[in-house]
Amino acid sequence: MDRAHIDESSKSSAGKPIRCRAAVARKAGEPLVMEEVIVAPPKFEEVRIRIICTSLCHTDVTYLKLKDPSACFPRILGHEAVGVVESVGEGVTEFHKGDTVIPIFMSECAECRDCKSKKSNLCSKFPFEISPWLHDGTSRFTDLKGQTLYHFMFVSSFVEYTVVHVANVTKLDSPIPPNRACLLSCGVSTGVGAAWRSANVEEGSTVAIFGLGSIGLAVAEGARLCGAAKIIGIDLNPEKFEIAKGFGITDFVNSRGCGDKRVSQIINEMTSGGADYCFECAGKAFLVEEAYACCRKGWGKTIVIGLDKPDSKLTFSSLEVLSQGKTIMGSTFGGLKPKSDIPIIIKRYMDEELELDKFVTHEVSFEDINKAFDLLLEGKSIRCVIWMDK
Amino acid sequence: MDKTTKISSKSTSGKPIRCRAAVARKAGEPLVIEEVIVAPPQTGEVRVKIICTSLCYSDVTFLNLKDPPASFPTILGHEAVGVIESVGEGVSEFVEGDMVIPIFLSECGECTDCKSKKSNLCSKFPFKISPWLQDGTSRFTDLKGETIYHFLFVSSFTEYTVVHVANLTKVDSAIPPNRACLLGCGVSTGVGAAWKSANVKAGSTVAIFGLGSIGLAVAEGSRLCGAAKIIGVDINPEKFETAKAFGVTDFVDSRSTGDKRVSQIINEMTDGGADYCFECVGRAFLVEEAFASSRKGWGKTIVLGVDQPGSQLKFNSFDVLHLGKTILGSFFGGLKPKTDVQTLIKRYMDKELELDKFVTHEVGFEDINKAFDLLIGGKSLRCVIWMDK
Repeated sequence: MDRAHIDESSKSSAGKPIRCRAAVARKAGEPLVMEEVIVAPPKFEEVRIRIICTSLCHTDVTYLKLKDPSACFPRILGHEAVGVVESVGEGVTEFHKGDTVIPIFMSECAECRDCKSKKSNLCSKFPFEISPWLHDGTSRFTDLKGQTLYHFMFVSSFVEYTVVHVANVTKLDSPIPPNRACLLSCGVSTGVGAAWRSANVEEGSTVAIFGLGSIGLAVAEGARLCGAAKIIGIDLNPEKFEIAKGFGITDFVNSRGCGDKRVSQIINEMTSGGADYCFECAGKAFLVEEAYACCRKGWGKTIVIGLDKPDSKLTFSSLEVLSQGKTIMGSTFGGLKPKSDIPIIIKRYMDEELELDKFVTHEVSFEDINKAFDLLLEGKSIRCVIWMDK
Repeated sequence: MDKTTKISSKSTSGKPIRCRAAVARKAGEPLVIEEVIVAPPQTGEVRVKIICTSLCYSDVTFLNLKDPPASFPTILGHEAVGVIESVGEGVSEFVEGDMVIPIFLSECGECTDCKSKKSNLCSKFPFKISPWLQDGTSRFTDLKGETIYHFLFVSSFTEYTVVHVANLTKVDSAIPPNRACLLGCGVSTGVGAAWKSANVKAGSTVAIFGLGSIGLAVAEGSRLCGAAKIIGVDINPEKFETAKAFGVTDFVDSRSTGDKRVSQIINEMTDGGADYCFECVGRAFLVEEAFASSRKGWGKTIVLGVDQPGSQLKFNSFDVLHLGKTILGSFFGGLKPKTDVQTLIKRYMDKELELDKFVTHEVGFEDINKAFDLLIGGKSLRCVIWMDK
């Protein structure tokens, strides 16, 4: 069995397990452990991918720290990445060895009613879930002791080679740099899509964004591309405003500096009655309710993107919902279809409309992956790219 | 002062009118038919001679409410049609003799919302449960000189009422009055909810929770939009036969689903959920059930029912985020009172929108309390109350 940097051109690895490096999450809250793992060959309708680079998203952090039943260890985290197909399993016609691809946690089987509908990106054949397995309920990873390692979000990118179902893979046809491409498998697509697809932000409109992490900034970028006239960013950290300006944010509200007023009051005053679109990007139920309170009566849309704890509830006054003319909706992966819509986003990047460079604030090599976690937790990074071959 | 005045003589213009009204004097008690004084219209107002009025459940709710925002004594009623007896200063939109429908939802025509196609929530005269006209005063007094409160800016259980022009729509006099009055609230709300708020697409699946007049109006609106399957959900299976005439194709008796929730039944019937789910009762748990019955990916849940003040809707954050569903409310069906009601009238005159089936009973004004009994007893859809019978 070969280690990493196997000679793929000789086709010697196809059909065989690969031994390579992975950053394994062994215990909740503890740094990932760099170790060698065995990656089984792809099964029916799966492909094995050599990861070029991967970026850290807050959901990886959340699941590294999670102790409750939803979490499971040992696990290979990571779900934002780009790579090259090393081998394909039986029944795969869509991809070939050597294809550059983005693995995506959202599936697109292209056959079910949702995939065939323009209105939905929620594949019914392979529904979204944070699963420890691939779609067939098994794992392709074992450690050197033969113990199973769990998958993450159908992707698992903190490893030199991963196995993914074809429904979770999008081909890249254009020469987009890898450290830009990887951003599109989660965060940036989620934010840009939420503005463009889910909310359908109109030109000249007003947008309010609660939470200026990567998702919030991606929403701002998407709103900017849609021609929004005013993009208000709300965060408890005023240091974020300077950077946020580079993403299209025109006004800032420090949610800890409002005095007696609620944030929604401030926004209602700033916008003469409410923003046309309010996005919640922090993952806090009370912020969704605040967002709802400052979206414009008559036509305002409140879009939920951030994920709160599993049991959390959103509460609204019945009479307000009835009489205020506002809409509430959620957006998963920005409402985007992974295979059809990502190429459109890539094209907008290649045409120099969508800006991705500003999202990458740090780059490290694989053995320093834990630094990426530190940077994100300290609030110092937006996206840190982790290169496999550095 | 004349009792029932001839409008053509213009003898009442500018003077108070003494006429009959059905006054709600005490919460929960029958209306009292008595004489009242109706002051002339002030600036921007008109005085309307009511031809007929119909009873809506909101009138019942407010008759029975002991606490604010209910207030007594009051003249209830908000679904009506009438003829203008006189106009106040500054009124150019209407003239004496015009046939009009007073509407609880205002349209000033000038504010950002009125000018926007997307909103029907006038900012100049916002909707509220107010005991007054728009200027904060009343035009009604009883014979002892005591103020009688208005209701929803309309107050139609009286031979004459005063209304602000923002709350008034002109009506083509060819439409029979006992069809026109329905458009002042219930039917417009339901039809509009399907047509305008939800934008029901041809061939789609609709689920309607609550088969009272609003729910049936939603069915009628969905039928007009070409919905392929219209599921009616109610606790009373006797409603199904009537509901078929309104376009309802399938029925779920919510008290006979055994171990299953209504949403489970609907998800099974629709292969994953209805495209549009309308809550037309006014119960938070039903809104939540409607949400659970809507199709992932694109399902819309539309709230129409008026719940108790303070009632709250609760959803799982995870469901809202990950199921791709939308929640919205529909007030007066999302319709602009002046423009859109005209469109409904036209569709009725063109024999597309059917209104006759909504009127199940008709009574004279002195029997107005029978209308309440019929509605509370679940025996009527719309009972029309004629002033001059």
